[in-house]
Amino acid sequence: MTIAPSCSLADLCRADFPILARQVHDRPLIYFDNAATSQKPLAVLNTLEDYYRRYNANVHRGVHTLSAEATTAYEGAREKVARFVNATHSEEIIYTRNASEAINLVAYSWGMNTLREGDEIILTVMEHHSNLIPWQFVAQKTGARLKFVELTPEQTFDLNHYESLLSDRTRLVAVAHVSNTLGCLNPIPEIVRLAHAKGAWVLVDACQSVPHLPIDVQQLGCDWLVASGHKMCAPTGIGFLWGRGELLRQMPPFLGGGEMIADVFLDHATYADIPHKFEAGTPAIAEAIALGAAVDYLSQWGMERIHAYEQELTAYLFERLQALPEVTVYGPKSGDRAALASFTVGEVHPHDLSTILDQSGIAIRAGHHCTQPLHRHLGVQSTARASLYFYNTRAEIDQFIAALGEAIAFFSDVFA
Amino acid sequence: MSLDNLRTLYQQVILEHYKKPRHRGRTQPVDRQQRGHNPSCGDTIDLTVALGTNEQGETIIQDIQFEGEGCAIAMASADLMADALRGQPVSRALQMVEQFQAMMKGQFEFPREFRKLNVMQGVAQFPVRIKCATLTWHTLRAALQQDPTSVNGFVSNEEEE
Repeated sequence: MTIAPSCSLADLCRADFPILARQVHDRPLIYFDNAATSQKPLAVLNTLEDYYRRYNANVHRGVHTLSAEATTAYEGAREKVARFVNATHSEEIIYTRNASEAINLVAYSWGMNTLREGDEIILTVMEHHSNLIPWQFVAQKTGARLKFVELTPEQTFDLNHYESLLSDRTRLVAVAHVSNTLGCLNPIPEIVRLAHAKGAWVLVDACQSVPHLPIDVQQLGCDWLVASGHKMCAPTGIGFLWGRGELLRQMPPFLGGGEMIADVFLDHATYADIPHKFEAGTPAIAEAIALGAAVDYLSQWGMERIHAYEQELTAYLFERLQALPEVTVYGPKSGDRAALASFTVGEVHPHDLSTILDQSGIAIRAGHHCTQPLHRHLGVQSTARASLYFYNTRAEIDQFIAALGEAIAFFSDVFA
Repeated sequence: MSLDNLRTLYQQVILEHYKKPRHRGRTQPVDRQQRGHNPSCGDTIDLTVALGTNEQGETIIQDIQFEGEGCAIAMASADLMADALRGQPVSRALQMVEQFQAMMKGQFEFPREFRKLNVMQGVAQFPVRIKCATLTWHTLRAALQQDPTSVNGFVSNEEEE
């Protein structure tokens, strides 16, 4: 079959996502809540089923055929993830439950054991609660201080303010690659260069970038990077931490249990090498293997292509949203930014807006998107957020804008 | 858009109370004060209550006022509640908290005297929005049950439904 040049990436891939064919309130589903979680392609669903139907067994435990097959698939998925983010060694990929657990792993293993009173951790006001609360724990326990990079007038990472916060006491910079609320793409290589010059490590929360752009941990230069599987076509319950091998080897274990040990005595134990040192207990085997399938699926289209298509969609979404006088959009309006828009609509509360759009089959997020301090900083209590993925279309944006117009009309009588 | 469904939820009375609340502010005096919070969306409500005594010697609600930010359902619910409960004995108000929750499950309808509260019945068809409607009632219960010597309590609505 030849494919017409006018075919968009979404036209080609939508059939791979069975859920996109469903109806909500008798209307075709328009799923614009991808920053919360993505939908899953058949390749991932089939991988899960295939594991449970054909080779369900525990990993690294037995010598029997099923266990060997499960182990091969589980470790094979780790290699796929390593290649996907261009890690030099697959043992630098630690499976976790999600990105939050990955950040907690670093906070407890490295932060709690390394930081002292007077040390400083630099975060930003735009961090998701998962890249804030674990560092609050560390600060409370160790006496380290938290400092926060603020925003430029364009609502992006303020590099000048960041430079002014860096000092010889800075031990860690923990920052989102892409803000889940503002959508801005933060200048990680520059952030890392400045941090390393002060002898500080850098952790990157890449939950909103790994699913959407090509990621190369070596090019970014950071020391740890975390992401969640479920935002990149994989199931829930699986995420990963990438860290520099030498750094991960120096860090003490996080959780204790089976799998993470080398030699165990009644009163002490020695631990396995990475990655297993950080993977206590039976892991999420099916989910990890399915994460590998998700990575294969994304790679089949190519992250460059996914990113380019999403940039097109974003430009169109912003053009249409900004044409509505009642709408205020947050975050940078142009430049390199994610395919999401957080916005408010006059006096219509985001919750009411979300309920109204849901009646048209449109799923958006309403609330503080786990960035309460950022919302306080912006002076709003909550926002609505439309977040896209490569299976979304311009036609869906048109329908979303039309429904938004109807919602504004529905409430305009009230505020007339 | 299924406008009929939406009109069930956003009845004219609800929209009017959202647009022009009658009980926004703080009571004089403040005998009870309570902040309610919906952690999943960030909505907050600050209730103040002025108490009095009726001819039977029962403690009654002289006045309820609210401040805070929230959606149309949350704000209208607070205003309607304040309307309905002025002059009511505290014991009756606490009973009505339970009745309102029952109404959100489709298991109760208020009698004629309080029929205006029944406009919130439509919320029962939107399960994710029940929390919005009940926030003010939870907050009121906490305000009325608190130790009067401790001012500035805080109640979370998260465990609801």
